[in-house]
Amino acid sequence: MTTLLTFFIKESIMRPMKRLFIFVFCLLGLVIFLWQAGDGEKTTTQAIFRMNLTAEPPTLDWSLATDNVSIRVIENLMEGLASYDEALRPQPAIAEGWDISPDGRVYTFYLRGDVFWSDGKQVTAHDFEYAWKRLLNPETASEYAYFLYDIKNAAAYNAGKIKDASLVGVKALDDRTLRVDLKKQAVYFPSITTFTATFPQRKDLIERFGDRWTSPENLVVSGPFLLAEWRHEYRLRLVANERYYGGRPALDEVIFYVVSEETTALTLYETGDLDRVSLPPIAIPQFKTHPDYVHAPFLRGYYYGFNLQIPPFDQVKIRRAFSMAIDRTEIPKILKGGEIPATSWIPEGMFAHNAKIGLSFNPEKARRLLADSGYENGVGLPPITLAFNSDPTNQLIAENIQAQWKKNLGVTILLDNLEWKVYLQRLREETPQIFRLGWGADYPDPDNFMNLFTSTSGNNYTHWANATYDQLISDAASEGDPKKRLRDYNRAQRILTESDVPIMPLFFAAQNLLISPDIEGLKVNAMDFIHLKKVRRRDVNREDAKKVKP
Amino acid sequence: MQSIFVLRFRRDPLAVLSLIVIVVLLLISVFGDLITPYAHDLQNADKSLLAPSAEHWMGTDLLGRDLFSRLIYGTRISMAVSLLTGFSALLLGTCYGAISGYVGGRLDNLMMRGVDVLYAIPDLLLIILITVVIGRGITGVFLALSLVGWITVARLIRGEVLRLKENAYVEAARAFGVKDMRILIKHILPNTLGVLIVTLTFRIPSAILAESTLSFIGLGLTPPAASWGSLANEGWKALKFYPHLIVFPSLAIFITMLAFNFLGDGLRDMLDPKQHKG
Amino acid sequence: MLSFIFRRILWAIPVLWIVATLTFLMMHLVPGGPFDREKKLPPEIKANIEAKYHLNKPIITQYGLYLKGLLRGDLGPSYKYLGRTVNDVIADTLPVSIQLGALALLIALTLGLAAGMASGAFAQTPWDKLSMFFATAGISIPNFVLGAFLILVFSHHLKIFPPALWEDARSVVLPAFALALAPAAYIARLTRSSVLEEKHRDYVRTARAKGLPEARILFGHILKNAIAPVVTILGPLAATLVTGSFVIEFIFSVPGMGKFFITAVTNRDYPLIMGVTLVYALLIVVCNLVVDVFYTLIDPRINLG
Repeated sequence: MTTLLTFFIKESIMRPMKRLFIFVFCLLGLVIFLWQAGDGEKTTTQAIFRMNLTAEPPTLDWSLATDNVSIRVIENLMEGLASYDEALRPQPAIAEGWDISPDGRVYTFYLRGDVFWSDGKQVTAHDFEYAWKRLLNPETASEYAYFLYDIKNAAAYNAGKIKDASLVGVKALDDRTLRVDLKKQAVYFPSITTFTATFPQRKDLIERFGDRWTSPENLVVSGPFLLAEWRHEYRLRLVANERYYGGRPALDEVIFYVVSEETTALTLYETGDLDRVSLPPIAIPQFKTHPDYVHAPFLRGYYYGFNLQIPPFDQVKIRRAFSMAIDRTEIPKILKGGEIPATSWIPEGMFAHNAKIGLSFNPEKARRLLADSGYENGVGLPPITLAFNSDPTNQLIAENIQAQWKKNLGVTILLDNLEWKVYLQRLREETPQIFRLGWGADYPDPDNFMNLFTSTSGNNYTHWANATYDQLISDAASEGDPKKRLRDYNRAQRILTESDVPIMPLFFAAQNLLISPDIEGLKVNAMDFIHLKKVRRRDVNREDAKKVKP
Repeated sequence: MQSIFVLRFRRDPLAVLSLIVIVVLLLISVFGDLITPYAHDLQNADKSLLAPSAEHWMGTDLLGRDLFSRLIYGTRISMAVSLLTGFSALLLGTCYGAISGYVGGRLDNLMMRGVDVLYAIPDLLLIILITVVIGRGITGVFLALSLVGWITVARLIRGEVLRLKENAYVEAARAFGVKDMRILIKHILPNTLGVLIVTLTFRIPSAILAESTLSFIGLGLTPPAASWGSLANEGWKALKFYPHLIVFPSLAIFITMLAFNFLGDGLRDMLDPKQHKG
Repeated sequence: MLSFIFRRILWAIPVLWIVATLTFLMMHLVPGGPFDREKKLPPEIKANIEAKYHLNKPIITQYGLYLKGLLRGDLGPSYKYLGRTVNDVIADTLPVSIQLGALALLIALTLGLAAGMASGAFAQTPWDKLSMFFATAGISIPNFVLGAFLILVFSHHLKIFPPALWEDARSVVLPAFALALAPAAYIARLTRSSVLEEKHRDYVRTARAKGLPEARILFGHILKNAIAPVVTILGPLAATLVTGSFVIEFIFSVPGMGKFFITAVTNRDYPLIMGVTLVYALLIVVCNLVVDVFYTLIDPRINLG
């Protein structure tokens, strides 16, 4: 055998196949060359935090970002006038503090003098004024413009009824003073200024770079991290901002990988390639005893909305029938993550939560309602489209509810799943008959949840408008007396989930996470904020890291 | 003549076994309803993700559906799609290849250049592009697969026809004034039957592969319709914890492809014994 | 020789043109333009968007503009990634796909040639039968099944290799092998039958009659000639690897062109779909060209026609 081998090598490799082997070596060379061209700058002593995002962020423009993936990244790049403490109370951030006029309608924010953009310019009140007016400008077409509707003339300007932006009640009095005039009292206004859509922006850069202002080579920020790299559909790399006014973060680098498959992400956690991962429903039973397991409540509601503009959901009876035909207790059985079935909309853990509100499971009554509308046992009702964004959880719920409606009402449901960005566009432009959405709290006040379905909300895709509801939400927002406020919200919730039913709440979510023991200071909160400025790695010796770095 | 083939075929146990497997699969896809213990889309939230047991032979999926029943149902869809596309690709390809080869000259040149162009686009990519245009779902997948599958067949048949048309009996028929169409159908194509059968047995596994791949990456069938590919896709998401969900659909695909490939090898050796002898 | 290469390059141009036209037509056959549904946007903004992408012009003008762009190597803007062009996307992703494909080709050639030659040389032995059984099994396993299986064993259970990402040498192993196995099996089968065919040639009989040792006949003559058909299929094989890479890139979250193609399809990002298709076609045409030229190099008897 050995002689055969030497013979083989001598006779065949050396001569006749020489050319084939040259080809093979060329291939090898190509592989190695491309490899070198890829990465070269890795140091193991760097403190790097790695986690996954479930999708590519649709945008990093904080006037346009509405989804939690984009927001998660932006929150680590930028900061607003205020930010939350651990108990989710707004605390001064870029603003040193603020004054509120006695009638509660004028807020004056005083900015710190030591906050700088990453290109060295100071963050001024003018940057806030520009950003807020850009958010409200109808040409920006921002869905979160309504966040600032409490400001005088903001809604009218956003709707195009006022053309003059200077009439909007936000004004930089000087570089460090921002005056905000509200149309009425809004007790939660400081909370609003913690939200990404209200972060400052640089007029000069946005005008210079256009759509490309958020790309890594152009993006100028003022938060704890800088955007170093954005490899689309793959990863975003953030590096520590040395000039961050709150002090340089302990982490040198943050890497967000785009991994949409949750089980893949989980395995990456296990192979040591990720430091934090959210558990897919299927994995929760096995990992409940894992030492890294973290369970926390989550101010996040999950609902199906109806498009009231197209039949059959222009009929309220049919909407009620659909809502009543769902046994919501099946959901935690499938998702297995401690979800709370819900028929009302304000989540547990928030003011004015009331589990008794809403339409409970009643298949007989649901069938009767449907029959009253002329579709006994679903006969005569054309198939109905239920749309959701591609995600295993959404798929599971959709298939379950599809089967429940078939069983309890006899109706046929077609499922349509779309990639997130396309899905959002579809909601805006051609709302499906039934659509899935979730809502995570932007600020821990019922206003954030209830405001969603007012007729002026950019996130209300149902085409539902109810003046009484709008009035109740608006009253509750400026109501100082908790008892009266509670009454308003109860009434509003009944309109939303019992009488008009533009949406049917399904459940409130829970967080099920694994966090690496090497990571310190990653606080889990009910709003799923991931603020990485205070996070550090235990396994990296800072002194060593300093030596390696130039 | 016939019996020599059969004899030779019988001496290839793998091919015989493969044929049996295929016949069983066909029976399952026709009479599957009789053996499925549950409806393929029957959900039972209390019984989600059970491991294989006496009650659920292959376990259940996340929604508590019986995997065995779903797999049987998927067999029907996968087999139907691949057989239909195999045949229609064969039909299209034979017509195209026969005309191109028989007429010859400029037309042949032109037609083959067309095939060359299509060869420049990877099959799967072309299939995806077609499903984008005609839409997903079973018809979209079927049309796309047929529209792509014929290309290989056309090349093969053209080669055969080119070879056969030089034969003396074709010359003779032409001399007697037999119409071209008749020569092609009566005298040439029957002689390509062997090649056709072998091609078909290789077209079918390609179709199975393409369909399951398409469904696996989520561009094929839409739920609750299930093919082996879409079942594997569902199982893929649960791979880590419930491997039975991907193992069974994968096995089904694998065994079927293996059977068709072995059968194809056997048939080819049988029809062209020169290749076989080592 | 040169004129042959020149003619082949000339022929590539109409092929690419037809592919471009075909994909253009297909993408415009899809009912409704990508921005047709923008009901909520003010009409002037919708008009702006349409004007930006020339969607307000007649289709023939759009086609003209598209071809004009192609001549300049400009594949147009992406609809999905605001502010990025298809060229940007391809520049980011093509190197990754080529890297993966080249590595897989390397593995496939090594495994396939070795197994095929051994099988052919020792035909009808148990070794041959076993290796051919595995080869047939290899072409019968869809690569997503293989990928899933590799992940199950090496990531989930052994926890050696990550199931996704594209970071270091560790993350390349699984996708490259998953992609390489089917081509390796195919090469093995082809090499074997080619070796068997060569065994019966006259020159082998002559060599044997001259009393040359069997081993020398095998390695000195048979294998040398048996390589030729393998080289001819390298072009189509490269295509197979490219096609296979869709699924593999999808499974292993590799940021290559295939993964982007799939997302482009789900997003209906038409310019990106057209661009990627064209780049694939170009890749295949170039592969075939290189292989043809290469083939004439290793076997000078080939008639260049």
